Amino acid sequence: MQLPSQQVAVLEAARADEATSVDALAAATDLPPETVTGALFELETEGLVAVSERVDETVALTDEGRDYVTEGLPEVRLYEAALEAGADADPVSMGQVIGASGLEGGAVDIALSNYARKGYGAIDSGEITADPDADPDADAEANALAALADADDAPVDSVDVDSETLESLERRGLLDRHESTVREATLTERAVTELMAGIETAETVGQVTPELLTSGEWETVEFAEYNVEADAEQFDGGNVHILRQTAERVKDTLVGMGFQEMDGPHVDADFWINDCLFMPQDHPARTHWDRFALENPTHIDALPADLVDRVERAHKEGVGPDGEGYHSPWDEDFARALALRGHTTSLSTRYLSGEEVGELEPPQRYFSVEKVYRNDTLDPTHLLEFFQIEGWVMAEDLSVRDLMGTFEEFYSQFGIEDIQFKPHYNPYTEPSFELFGTHPTTGELVEIGNSGIFREEMLEPLGVDCDVMAWGLALERLLMLMYGFEDIRDIHGTLCDLELLRNTEVTY
Amino acid sequence: MPTVDIDPDELRDLTGHDEKSDDELQEALFGLGLEFEGRTEDGAFELEFAPDRLDRLSVEGVARSMRYQYGDARGVHVPSPNSPEWTIEVDDSVPDERPYVTGAVVRNVDLDEEALESLIQLQEKLHATMGRKRAKGAIGIHDLTMLKGRDARSASENESGDEPRGSAATEGTPTIQYVGVEPDGDRFVPLDSDREMTPADVLEDHQTGRTYADLVSEYERYPAIYDDLGLFSFPPVINGRRTEVSTESRDLFVEMTGTDQWTIDKMLTIVCYALSARGATLEEVRVEYPDHEIVRPDLSTKTKTVAHDRIETILGIGLDPDDVIDLAERSGLEAEKEESEDGDLVYEVTIPPYRVDVLHPLDVIDDLGRAYGFNDLEPRYPDVGTVGGRHERSRLERAVREQLVGLGFEDLLNFHMISEEENYDRLEVSPGDDIYGAGEPATIKEPYSEDFTMLRTWVMPSLLMVLERNTHRSYPQNLAEIGFAAAVDESEPTGVAEGRRVGAVLAHHEAGYEDAKARLQALARNFDVDLETPPTDHPTFISGRTAAVVIDGDDVGVIGEVHPKVLIEHDLEVPVSAFEFDLEALR
Repeated sequence: MQLPSQQVAVLEAARADEATSVDALAAATDLPPETVTGALFELETEGLVAVSERVDETVALTDEGRDYVTEGLPEVRLYEAALEAGADADPVSMGQVIGASGLEGGAVDIALSNYARKGYGAIDSGEITADPDADPDADAEANALAALADADDAPVDSVDVDSETLESLERRGLLDRHESTVREATLTERAVTELMAGIETAETVGQVTPELLTSGEWETVEFAEYNVEADAEQFDGGNVHILRQTAERVKDTLVGMGFQEMDGPHVDADFWINDCLFMPQDHPARTHWDRFALENPTHIDALPADLVDRVERAHKEGVGPDGEGYHSPWDEDFARALALRGHTTSLSTRYLSGEEVGELEPPQRYFSVEKVYRNDTLDPTHLLEFFQIEGWVMAEDLSVRDLMGTFEEFYSQFGIEDIQFKPHYNPYTEPSFELFGTHPTTGELVEIGNSGIFREEMLEPLGVDCDVMAWGLALERLLMLMYGFEDIRDIHGTLCDLELLRNTEVTY
Repeated sequence: MPTVDIDPDELRDLTGHDEKSDDELQEALFGLGLEFEGRTEDGAFELEFAPDRLDRLSVEGVARSMRYQYGDARGVHVPSPNSPEWTIEVDDSVPDERPYVTGAVVRNVDLDEEALESLIQLQEKLHATMGRKRAKGAIGIHDLTMLKGRDARSASENESGDEPRGSAATEGTPTIQYVGVEPDGDRFVPLDSDREMTPADVLEDHQTGRTYADLVSEYERYPAIYDDLGLFSFPPVINGRRTEVSTESRDLFVEMTGTDQWTIDKMLTIVCYALSARGATLEEVRVEYPDHEIVRPDLSTKTKTVAHDRIETILGIGLDPDDVIDLAERSGLEAEKEESEDGDLVYEVTIPPYRVDVLHPLDVIDDLGRAYGFNDLEPRYPDVGTVGGRHERSRLERAVREQLVGLGFEDLLNFHMISEEENYDRLEVSPGDDIYGAGEPATIKEPYSEDFTMLRTWVMPSLLMVLERNTHRSYPQNLAEIGFAAAVDESEPTGVAEGRRVGAVLAHHEAGYEDAKARLQALARNFDVDLETPPTDHPTFISGRTAAVVIDGDDVGVIGEVHPKVLIEHDLEVPVSAFEFDLEALR
């Protein structure tokens, strides 16, 4: 039989006729007690030792108890002082006796409360008497203290003090009791047989060490077995936020489809957010409470004057020989008001106007996946800030079929098929479509976006004389469709649950 | 999105399709862009509508559209009104802010409960949409039999006389007057009230008056309409009780006032079409302004010239001219083939007067597409070649995010809006302090709640808030965010400097300055920039354990151990070390 060296040592130190404690085995083998315990459990599993457990009680004096060992118990000191003062004959004033005894503070009370109880005499009306027959040398408590003076956590069985006295000492706070579990091992018959047959020491190692490798020792050692099925402690590495992952995937898809990315201000003038989109200034969405206007600063410094003129004319008179404008007022100051953008179409108007990257010649494709802000009611599916996937294609002669085809291609990349188009109205696109997709698991029809062909009243002032088709949709909606999240607030914002973020399945 | 309630039985009745089931109706309505949202308590359909077809704000208009869709009606239908009997005289005293008025008489109306309810709903929906909550246009409908029209001549005599307005005898053309009055002048009994009130009383004491008080309270004189018997309407606020319309009413006087003639004329047209659909007869009204006269309702059609070629490009299909004409008629339009000056095929398309959404030939093409069925068009991927690419800022952000995750940080995404308390106070910072993260706030005028009153000036507050909310989760919590931050900066065109920040916190039992510095160094190495961290003071961090982040010689951020005061404020019981700097610095 082969066993690791530590187990062999423990086996050899143990006996078949007597139980040996872990501490004794540790002393005999010169191994740490934990190691001995570990080895015993391994040996028990092998059927080589029987391990028994018992609870040992030990006692030790408290600091107060130790003090009395040297100074004597307060009641004994009081008795001795009383004898000196002649209280065995006549009562003596208590103050005088206490003064003579040298007792102070709390010790006085302790002395007084134990004096009569233990028959040293009586205290009455401020006078003290002493019983001449009392014998301090026979005081059980005092003797017990002396007996325990050297015992430090001695097993309760090993001290020569009766249990009644131990209890009274404990009550007086002079003694502490401790319970501890003691494991003892006894060799089994099988162990005796194996020992007689001879047990070899097997070299096993836990950790592969540099020494082990460089010395060449690794060739002869045996590696201790691990419980390879046990769960390890949880490890939390970093993850890219799930909504960012989805945004990255959208960006990759659109770049693959030939789109360039746009970037631009979150705080922008209404001119870029709404007026350039041919949104009348008295449109409910512009005065509506769902817009976040800025309190400070309030207005943009400058707008391109030519463009402002053209936009104003389009609003008032329309575009083309048959065009009509809105029967609504138009005011440049209103257009200069700053707000948090309610859609990233403000980026599209900036790019289409030539303001960002110069005049654009068709064909062009542009996109952005950026935040927009709406003063909507916060609930599980609506946030005040969310990501809009904005995109547009500029080319000669685009049709609604091209728009539909682009969407089908884009959404199929996310497993969303059977796109449906519901004719819709937007002030800045015509024709316009709301997009609906079928949820891959629930089969439910879900609105996934809004799209259309930009109106000429929007494009002409921007200086674009070909077609532009465009769309915007909420990234969060796509994410919820893909992952089935129920409350978007769990992942987006400061109410997020770290555990959810740590454990979310990655997307690719 | 706004909704309109439609009784399905009424709809069956008005379309003449009793056989259609509710499901069939809903499907046809979806085709019109009216989405079924649910039912009202009375079992009516609640339909969501896009705010372009304002001629479909009541069951009459919806039924008209469905009759075109079912093929029961074709082309343009215009009712012929009778010649005017009544006159609205516009007085010089009318407030300049609300100078326009229009009107029509409608006779032989059969108003049962449903019809009356529908008329009230139409008024409400028109007020909410075209009328811009009555600011731009307000509707008043009156029982004509309760009006006593007087002669215009005697009215003007009356102006100079001592007699109270409206008491003159009638002779000649019946006339009502649109005038401006003293707020505390004449009294009348408004709807939903049983006592006489002046217009000023109405704004103060009447529920509807209080709702619309803001529309006129700044006016010097209030708009009012008078007949022989006196004030009977206080537009745009409330009508008088005397002329209240009931199911007993047979003849109606419809008047509208507003800030734009075209808008109120179109609202009137829509109301007239709805009542006409119920078999009523329209009768014109003469509107006499001080300097000109018009006759209303304006039921004239307009035309748009639409190029055949443009129809084919937008729809992406080839069409015969006959197909185009057929599609137009099925849309309630009429198209006539013509040749343009350049010899191209074009159509003169007639637009009925109730349409308010046709601004451009493109809008006609949309109608043709709907009649054709957009969903019958075959999608195709556009044959347009372009080259895609990411914005540089976005590429940099992605690269830094990947490095941070590699360094063991959980990537976060927090709100850009925050409160002053979270952004400054809880981090021991004051707005405008000359320290990193303490810019002047760009503030929101009407915030959603006190938690979102400004744009955050740095991301550190958001990271500490996430730590605060997740103390029950296991540590270490090493969090990072590359996020948007903004502050007022007059040198920017918008007055706001916007940027992305790289923020990171390390929270665990042994988190210290060196942990943060080690990771910051790693980033600097990865992006090949020169990093220095000279000591600095920052109230968020422990003095003596705080440094400026200086990258390539520019002071771009801060690093340190978060001050126990800030930790306690965020209920944190572990040390936190942190850094934040401008993303641009790694460019």
